[in-house]
Amino acid sequence: MTAASRARLLRSVRLSIRILAAHPLRTALSVSGVLVGVSAVMVMSAVGSGAERRVLARIRAMGTDLLVVTGAPAPRVAGRARQAASVTALRPADADAIAGEAFLARAAAPGVTRAVIARWEGRNVPTTVMGTTPAGLRIRGIRAAAGRVFDDEEDRQRRRVVVLGPVLARTLFGEVDPIGLELRLGSVPVEVIGVLTPRGTDVAGADLDHVAVVPLETAMRRLLNIPYVHALYVQGAPGGNLSGLEAEVREILGRRHARRSGTPEPFVVQNQSVVLRTERGTARAFTRLIVATGLLALLAGGIGILVTMLLSVRDRRREIGLRRAVGARTRDIRLQFLLESVLVATTGGAAGIVAGLGMTVVAAVLGPWDLVIPWRAALVGFASSAGLGLLVGTIPASRAGRLQPVEALRAA
Amino acid sequence: MIAAEALYKSYRRDGVPIPVLTGASLTVGPGEFVAIMGASGSGKTTLLNLLGFLDLPDAGTYRFEGRDLSAAGDDALAAVRNRRIGFVFQQFHLLDRISAVENVMLPLLYAEEDVTDGAGRAVRALDAVGLAHRRSHRATELSGGEQQRVAIARALVNDPALILADEPTGNLDEQSGAEVLDIFGRLRDGGKSIVLVTHDRAVARRADRILRLERGAIVPGSAE
Repeated sequence: MTAASRARLLRSVRLSIRILAAHPLRTALSVSGVLVGVSAVMVMSAVGSGAERRVLARIRAMGTDLLVVTGAPAPRVAGRARQAASVTALRPADADAIAGEAFLARAAAPGVTRAVIARWEGRNVPTTVMGTTPAGLRIRGIRAAAGRVFDDEEDRQRRRVVVLGPVLARTLFGEVDPIGLELRLGSVPVEVIGVLTPRGTDVAGADLDHVAVVPLETAMRRLLNIPYVHALYVQGAPGGNLSGLEAEVREILGRRHARRSGTPEPFVVQNQSVVLRTERGTARAFTRLIVATGLLALLAGGIGILVTMLLSVRDRRREIGLRRAVGARTRDIRLQFLLESVLVATTGGAAGIVAGLGMTVVAAVLGPWDLVIPWRAALVGFASSAGLGLLVGTIPASRAGRLQPVEALRAA
Repeated sequence: MIAAEALYKSYRRDGVPIPVLTGASLTVGPGEFVAIMGASGSGKTTLLNLLGFLDLPDAGTYRFEGRDLSAAGDDALAAVRNRRIGFVFQQFHLLDRISAVENVMLPLLYAEEDVTDGAGRAVRALDAVGLAHRRSHRATELSGGEQQRVAIARALVNDPALILADEPTGNLDEQSGAEVLDIFGRLRDGGKSIVLVTHDRAVARRADRILRLERGAIVPGSAE
């Protein structure tokens, strides 16, 4: 590009800005369509990423190096469901066997859970009691924020001690320091020895902080009175692969739980890394879907520009004729309308980013998702708006360029 | 300056060709002020459009400053209109929403060279028509006579050799019309060629020479 044509382009840009500023209502209407589109792309993308991040955080809170083995759903016999919802074959010794035999396992622990009423001084709070071993606490990342957690000795002796999730502790005791106090889980009195660090919610949305954690043996023998466990938590060795560990666990459990050939395995192995992958895939698909919706809004904005620009060409035929008379080439006229279209679209894009940022913050405050500033969506939105302006601008530009000077000057 | 020989031009309406110019010939010398008179529909505006390269003839030859531009492309014709010709229209054709000086600067936008003192040139052109003090006013804030003077300043800003004026006083009162014609007189004195079309004999009398256009051709021996 020569210096003269650069100067010419610069003059055209300046003039286009003057023309657009001279028609504030028309310009504002065109800008607003793109503004809505770009801000929609941004907010949608932010909400999608924020939701994705929250889901992933929940999965990570469970531990991504974790296998969870649970009893398989109980088979129906003669068309009738069993009393227990799932097979009750898993035993604490299965966890010991896995910890001892699986090369890829770092640790393994059993766990039981059941809904229970926690009572203290006339308050009754429905909550979840969870029984596990100190190894299970470590695997699940359960730590005391105040007081302490139980040890192996207390587990073995079936001591009536409990560590409370912070939400349960607050609900039951209010401002009172619960450590050292005695509450009842169902009808069994237990002593509070600690309060847990907050852990948020799990993937299903269950509150991990509204829980009473007791030693496994205490839970099985004193509270639940059951010989089996609900789950085995198996932690992979650092850097090991979870799929290999899963195969090992299946092999060990298969050996320990002999079954007739043809019947399904009496347990289900849930691989957290697979869950993570699936959830991430779902979240991304969701994000793509809503971003596509936003892009549709942007497209609608582009059509708005197209219509306004076509009307503008019609309204300004005499102006086009005059420009031709004073020396504008066909391509100068085309360039001018193209420039105006791109200027409107990019102004809408920039304003959309500002509006989108504001709405993103508001959405994150109001909605159940994390604040994620969608810079990539902002960039994509801005680039799309510029491209859109260029694309839709070609139609009015070519129409304006085709106008013959004499015919344009004659226009009423 | 210009030499047109047997120019033909017809327009099509509903597929039927309607002849407008049927062999118009004329010459205009440098520094000459020529008026073309004719009734409505005689082809005055069409002839002016051909002389200003706003349109091309169907047949005939037209030499501008000694050059035949019949084979020239859009860019070359645009450059000639920009640098060598200034147009003044009956309707003024000012852009409403920008100031007088910005209107005058419009041809500079399409100048080939890098224009450095565009605003200064525009103000000097406005000064030449006695409107430098109204430079910041919008077209809608000016009287008809003032608007036409702004349009003349716009025609002058690139210092063209030829001014083409199509009924420049047609929309003006008598006094404003006289002011505009005085300006044309001064421009002729300054060496510019002027072709003005009008149906008003009083206006035409201000020119050095009057040609009559009838039924698409200059009437032979019509020069007064």
